[in-house]
Amino acid sequence: MLAGSRSDSLKDSSLGVSPSTVHQAVASPSCGEGALLVTRSSGYHFIVPGFGFLIPLLLLMVVVFDAPIVYMLALAFWDKAQGFTLGYYGDVFEAPVYLRVLANTVRISVVATIVSVIIGYPLAHWIRGLGRRAKMVALALVVLPFWVSVLVRTYAWIVLLGNDGLVNRALQWLGLVQAPVSFLYNELGVTIGMTNVLLPLLVLPLYAAMARVDDRLLQAAASLGAPPSTIFWKVYFPLTLPSLAAGTLLALILCLGFYITPAILGGGRVPMISNVLDTLINVYPNWGQASAISTILLVVTLLIFAIYRRIDQTTSTK
Amino acid sequence: MIGSSIWARNILAAVGIFGLGFLTIPLVIIVPMSFSSATALTFPPPGLSLRWYDAFFGDGRWMDAMRTSIVLALISSIAALTLGGLAAYGLRRRAVAGASLAEGNFMVPLFVPTIITAVALYLGLAKMGLLGSFLGLVVAHTILNVPICVMVLGVAIREFDPRLEQVAWSLGASWLLTIRRVVLPSLAPSVFAAWIFAFIGSFDEVIVTSFIAGAYETVPKVMFNKLILEVDPTITAVATLLIAFTVLALAIVAVVRAQSDKLKSSVIMQ
Repeated sequence: MLAGSRSDSLKDSSLGVSPSTVHQAVASPSCGEGALLVTRSSGYHFIVPGFGFLIPLLLLMVVVFDAPIVYMLALAFWDKAQGFTLGYYGDVFEAPVYLRVLANTVRISVVATIVSVIIGYPLAHWIRGLGRRAKMVALALVVLPFWVSVLVRTYAWIVLLGNDGLVNRALQWLGLVQAPVSFLYNELGVTIGMTNVLLPLLVLPLYAAMARVDDRLLQAAASLGAPPSTIFWKVYFPLTLPSLAAGTLLALILCLGFYITPAILGGGRVPMISNVLDTLINVYPNWGQASAISTILLVVTLLIFAIYRRIDQTTSTK
Repeated sequence: MIGSSIWARNILAAVGIFGLGFLTIPLVIIVPMSFSSATALTFPPPGLSLRWYDAFFGDGRWMDAMRTSIVLALISSIAALTLGGLAAYGLRRRAVAGASLAEGNFMVPLFVPTIITAVALYLGLAKMGLLGSFLGLVVAHTILNVPICVMVLGVAIREFDPRLEQVAWSLGASWLLTIRRVVLPSLAPSVFAAWIFAFIGSFDEVIVTSFIAGAYETVPKVMFNKLILEVDPTITAVATLLIAFTVLALAIVAVVRAQSDKLKSSVIMQ
C-alpha cells in the first residue's frame, strides 16, 4: 500500500520524458529476449517477450491459490446428503446470527472509515503546509506505524484503553468523567483500533494527491478575490476528491477483512465476518456455510476494488 | 491555505497533531511499559526492571517461535523476491497478452480479505498434503509477500533504461549474464527494499499462519494466542522488540535509498 502510493508518485515524475516509454514505442519487437514463441507469418512478428519469467510464479499461484479458491466457491453449492444446494446461501440471509455479524461488520467498517477520513484529510492537509524538515518528520511518523505489526498496535491499545490505562486516567484527571470509561471488549474499542490501522493508508495517498496541487492555482483564485473557504471548496477540495474517494474505498475493503482487531479488542463479543469464518472452519467444520460467506465477501470486495481501480486510474492519468 | 484565518490554521494544526499522536502515542507508550517492574499494566511504571525481557528470552516456547519466525521469514522472503522479481521483469512490457491479468492475479492476496487467502491456502495445501508442514508455511508466506515484491520491483524495472540491456546483448552477453551484471546491480536498492518489506511481511503474519501452521509456532502466532486468553506483560517486551526491529529495518531502507539517489545524481552531474 505504501509502495502503491510511492509508485504513483514515481509514475508521475517519469511521465514526461521517461526514456523507457519512448523506447518501448520505438523498439522493434524482434529483439526478443527470453522470447518463448516467435512465429513469422506474413511478416508479422507475434512475440511474447519475457513470458517465461512469469511461469514459475503463475504455476504456484494457480496450484495453491486460484484452484483452491474455485474449489472453495464450489463447496458452497454442495451438500453431502442432497447434492446441489442453495441452502448455504439461504442461511446467510436468514439465520439471525449471520445477519447480526453482517450488520456489525458493515456498521463498524463505515464508522471506522468515516472517522479515518475526518482525521486523515485535515492531517494530510496540515502536513502539506509544513516546512521541509517538519514535513519529513510528520510523514515518517505516519509511515512508521503502517509497518509496525497490527498485533503490536492492537496490543498497545489494550495497554492504553484499559480501566487503569493512560486514556482513562487522563480523562479522570481532567475531570471529564467520574468512573473509568470501558473502551475495551466492545464496539468502541474495535472501532478505535481499526481507525488506527486505516489512518496511514488514507493519509499517504491523500498527501500525495495534495502535494500535486499546484500552489499557483490557489494563488490565482486568491488574486481573483476568492475568500479562503471558496478557494478550499471550489479549487482545492475538488482536486483532491478522486484521491479521497479512492482512499475511502480502499479503507472500506480492508475493513471488511479485519480479523485481529475485533478478535483482540472485541474480546470475542464483537465478531466480524472474518472471525465468524474462522469459527465456522476451525471450530464446527462447516465448509459449505463458510464457503457461501467467503464467496459473498469475495464478490463484495472485488466489486469495491473494481470501482477503486477505475477512480485510481483516472486520477493517475490526469 | 492562502489567507485562511488564524483560527482555521490553529484548528487544522490541532487535528493534525491529534492525528499524529493517535498514530504514534500507542507505540511510544509500549516502550517504557516493557521495562516495568510491575505485573499490572500501569503507566507510568512503578519501577524499572528487565524481568519481561528475561521472561521472553528465558521461555523455550518464545525462543522456538522466534527461530521458526526468522527461518521462515528468511526463506519465504527470498523465494518471494526471486519469483516476484522474475515476474516483474517479465511483466515490464504490458503489451504481453494476459500480462495485466497475470499481474492482477499476483496482487490478489494484497487486497482480498486475509481470511479468504487463508482458507484458499488451507484447501490448496491440504490437497497437496502440506498442511501443518514447514514447506507449506514457506509456500503460503511466499504467496503473501509476492505482491509487495512485484510492486516495488515493477516500478524499479520500468524506470530502468532497457537500452542498457540491449547494449549488453549486442555485445554478446547472454540474458542471464545481462541480468546478473547489468540489470541487478542497478536495481539493487529496490531489490533490498523489497526484500526487507517481504521479510517484515512474513515476520508479522498471523492469520494465514494460524490456519495452516499446525504445530509450528511463530512469534505473532504465540502473541495472538496469548492475547486472546489474557494480558501477559511479556508481550510488552516482545512488542517493543518488534517496534525496534521495524524502525531499524525502515531506517536501513531509507539510508540505502538515499545513498543510491545521491550516487545517481552524482553520476549525472559528471
